[in-house]
Amino acid sequence: MKIVARWLVSAFVIASTVWAGIVTAADGKITVMNPRGIMPAIKQIPMAERPDSLDGKTIYIVDTKFANTKPFVDALRDNLAAAYPKTNWIGVDKVGGYIQDDPNLWAEIKAKGHGAIVLLGH
Amino acid sequence: MGVPAVAMVTSAFDELATSTAFKKGMPGLRVTFTPHPITGRTTEESNVYLKGKDPITGKPMLEEVVNGLRDKLAKQDKQAGEIEREERPRFLTADTADNLQQMFHDKMWTDGLPVILPTEEKVKAMLKGTSHAPDEVVGEMRPSGPHEAWKYTVEMVAVNAVMAGAKPEYLPVILAIAATGQTSLVSSTSSFARMAVINGPIRDEIQMNSSIGALGPFNQANSAIGRAWTLVSKNLGGSGTPGSTYLGSTGNPLNYGNMTFPEAEESLPEGWEPLHVQKGFKKDESVVSIFSGWSFNTIAWFSPLPQQDVIKNWLTHFFSFGTGSATIIVDPIVAVELNNNGFKTKQQFAEYLMEKSANPGWLYWSTHQEEYKKAKEGVEPFASYLKLGETAEVPVSRYVRRAPPPGAPAGMPPRNPVEVLAVGGGTNTYWSGGDFSYVSGASIDKWR
Repeated sequence: MKIVARWLVSAFVIASTVWAGIVTAADGKITVMNPRGIMPAIKQIPMAERPDSLDGKTIYIVDTKFANTKPFVDALRDNLAAAYPKTNWIGVDKVGGYIQDDPNLWAEIKAKGHGAIVLLGH
Repeated sequence: MGVPAVAMVTSAFDELATSTAFKKGMPGLRVTFTPHPITGRTTEESNVYLKGKDPITGKPMLEEVVNGLRDKLAKQDKQAGEIEREERPRFLTADTADNLQQMFHDKMWTDGLPVILPTEEKVKAMLKGTSHAPDEVVGEMRPSGPHEAWKYTVEMVAVNAVMAGAKPEYLPVILAIAATGQTSLVSSTSSFARMAVINGPIRDEIQMNSSIGALGPFNQANSAIGRAWTLVSKNLGGSGTPGSTYLGSTGNPLNYGNMTFPEAEESLPEGWEPLHVQKGFKKDESVVSIFSGWSFNTIAWFSPLPQQDVIKNWLTHFFSFGTGSATIIVDPIVAVELNNNGFKTKQQFAEYLMEKSANPGWLYWSTHQEEYKKAKEGVEPFASYLKLGETAEVPVSRYVRRAPPPGAPAGMPPRNPVEVLAVGGGTNTYWSGGDFSYVSGASIDKWR
């Protein structure tokens, strides 16, 4: 009678576990599936070589035009010009909103400039 | 760009800036951080900041910018080739249920509440809800425009559907939402919310609730599908990590269930078409429609005014981040009342709201500086508006049709600035209004 009772209890426990969808291993561990999606591959872009000095160079200060940040962008240009007068600091506005690309400006900077500071937001 | 570059970003976005630089393929990008926020700072305040230190690195700010443009690069900055990313095994390392549950929370794979652990058996059972192959790619999703997009298969969506507590018969709806590629957790500092409206026969097949309490936590299908969208957005759409892929300053409580509900089609008055029919689908098709916005008000106001005027006056004074779009969700008995008052279609009522709603004076004049200047110079009609007083209503609607977004298919009609939906159990003449706008619709039947 005791053996039958034990068997019934064991069967109930196993059935309950399977019913719950969690088949446990002997060590109490279970395996679950990965909930994450597929991230894209990333190709590293080599950074541009830096010059030894910025003297005589033209650096663009690109304003991405986040709302009400113009005073800071202008102050950056003025402070850089005062601290590094041998460098030509040019302030420019990027086209469109702050997330819009501006390939024409990037081409201009590559053709006429030696570097860029891109800012800002919030 | 091909020339040395330095990014300047405010210090609140250090994690975003560095993670974005990595994902765009330039992990060594030189970034100088400014105090936060910069917006609204005067020239004098800006000068103080610029003469100070980068709040993240502690280096003098101007020096750091200049050094970023001229200092020699490290060897790893000049490298090309593929950057190694975290591996994605199909199964996770075995552990106890409690440990796995905690790990899912720690890795931010949940919505902060316990999930159903996605065992292979449960996922297989879930996959019985669709005829599509487990390895079929459903789509791709990103937290917002500038972020990278992740891809996902039918099986991956099913894993997240299990976690959300969905039944297999809900899976076609969840797959359709996933196929739109629209995250429910848009990464913007403005704390967006999203909404999913279900139309067609599937609503009854899976026993969704479009009646009493339809917008609340009272129905398994409404709740689980909405929750699944959050988990899909986080785990398959790469969204929802605060600081890097989620920037909502306050967050939005509507993100919990993503306002997922079926429209009360059967209770619509004669002539009022269900949403999916308005959008060009057939009545017997099952469709999910995605909306985007920020907030909703829930209102019943008993007055001698007819409902359309109460709603119109509310719309005039409703103010949120999104001031050019509105969605009005009416209880079916309000819809009947509006119908009895002469609005024979939803669109007719929407047109009335677009035409008759106005602008609160403070909002109009503060966002129309040119017009304010003209009003002061006596130019009409602005001068007449201003004569009413700077806080008086200006008879210009904020809800005007806008051109389709850039890249939209040719022939796409202008976006409707006011949408009208019906849901509820008719226990009172309630309605909700908010700044949501229609984004897109997708077939659920395709995913059966």
